[in-house]
Amino acid sequence: MLISFFESVKYVGHLLPISFLRIFLGYYYLEHALQKFRGDFLTRPRIADQIAEWLPTSHAPQWFKIFASSQMIPNWQTVAFIILGVEFAVAFSYILGYVVRPVALLGVLLCLMMLFISGPNHEDLFKTFLAIHFIMAWVGAGRCLGLDYYFFKRRRGIWW
Amino acid sequence: MKHFVLFVTVVFIGLSLALLNRTNQGGDLAAVPILRVFGYSTFTGRWGPGPLLKASFEKNCKCKVEFIEGSDSGILLQRLRIEGESLGADLVIGLDQFDLSKAMSEQKWRNLSLGKLDTYEAVRPAFSGAYFVPYDWGQLSFIARKEGSSHFPSKLDELLLPEYRKKLALQDPRTSSTGKQFLFWVLDAKGEVQGFKYIEALMEQAHSFSPSWSTAYGLFTSKQAAMTFSYVTTPLYQEIEEKKKEYLSLKFEEAMPVQIEFMGIPDFCRNCELASQFVNFLLSSEGQKIIMEKNYMFPVVKGILEKSPFAAILPAKNLQKFKVPPTSEVERVLKRWTDIRRNTLN
Repeated sequence: MLISFFESVKYVGHLLPISFLRIFLGYYYLEHALQKFRGDFLTRPRIADQIAEWLPTSHAPQWFKIFASSQMIPNWQTVAFIILGVEFAVAFSYILGYVVRPVALLGVLLCLMMLFISGPNHEDLFKTFLAIHFIMAWVGAGRCLGLDYYFFKRRRGIWW
Repeated sequence: MKHFVLFVTVVFIGLSLALLNRTNQGGDLAAVPILRVFGYSTFTGRWGPGPLLKASFEKNCKCKVEFIEGSDSGILLQRLRIEGESLGADLVIGLDQFDLSKAMSEQKWRNLSLGKLDTYEAVRPAFSGAYFVPYDWGQLSFIARKEGSSHFPSKLDELLLPEYRKKLALQDPRTSSTGKQFLFWVLDAKGEVQGFKYIEALMEQAHSFSPSWSTAYGLFTSKQAAMTFSYVTTPLYQEIEEKKKEYLSLKFEEAMPVQIEFMGIPDFCRNCELASQFVNFLLSSEGQKIIMEKNYMFPVVKGILEKSPFAAILPAKNLQKFKVPPTSEVERVLKRWTDIRRNTLN
């Protein structure tokens, strides 16, 4: 597995720049997830506050607004737990280069949701992240400097 | 796909275990009752009176005080309506007179029992309600810089002079409580017909209508605007906290607006007795002093601000009378303001 990890540079070297971007994004997500874990993100209804504040002015479709106000705000603990879990999953996956494609799709969903419930100050950031996750999934960024290459070599398929 | 499901499962199990471990470490706290106070962030945050009030109350109550933050006072009611009981609030702090009617119609509140208090005349009528009790109050006016001008407006009409064109940093009354105070001040002083004509003319004078007091105030302190609508204690805050003596609050001929902040115990409270104790603590000399010094608002109870710098600026006369406008009236007035604003922009 270790040999495959480094060997990937030789065979899919064209993905090397995007792998650095992947690892950087993984580190970014890890830092933010740890900050949330150590802080009061899970114990205080910050996410409910955020949704209540920005949802009325959001560009989200009506069904999402109804879902967010009827389900997400009252169950903010569950929402906060899922967000944090997905952030950790994206972080570990991107740093290790493991199951990057499906996890990047999770990242796309996370960014879409954050885009709907965050204020205009964060709109550009989440749009950029959305595009990056999408590209990660498209090119299969885990195949270079990542564990995905080991499985890709043996099994092929669209998940690696 | 199997790898992906396994990976995500492992991450979530890991996170759950880490959380479980953290909860166990704090297990000894479980036996202590927790009073949850829901308030706006400038009250509950580290620069506001919240942390000092918490520390002082926890000394004697054998309990723990936790603050639930709402980003702005305007958002408190919205959160209460949406989240209701799941918010877990035992006490709500930071409603003003424009919120009371709406709060009463949307939530059930507990009767408050208070001891006898010697209060200021300006806030005495606000103590007549059974469900909400005031804990501080402030007078609002325009704040200007001393330098660069020898003459300041002393009545509302003077704000329409050409020299103030695009110079006033105002707040949007739909999102800001100070913005609402200004709008109702104008309507009270001039009557509704003349008042809205005045507001129409004032649109040309406004540098901007910010969504919150802090944004408008920021425009003023960064010298993008010549005046802003704020609390009369603002110059004192600048003098004590920022060591700046360049601001002054203006006196107007019209009766000045007064904002009174209230607290109330929602019917779904869990530690209702503790909430009631906290209400009484906030009205005690100690609580009132902390609120005055950290929130830069006047205490409602007499005998606190004497011998403090606040005594010199305590307004005694020419104040608007306290009233609670019904929700329908507030909404109608705001709709009219929105129409005027839209016409100005078009």
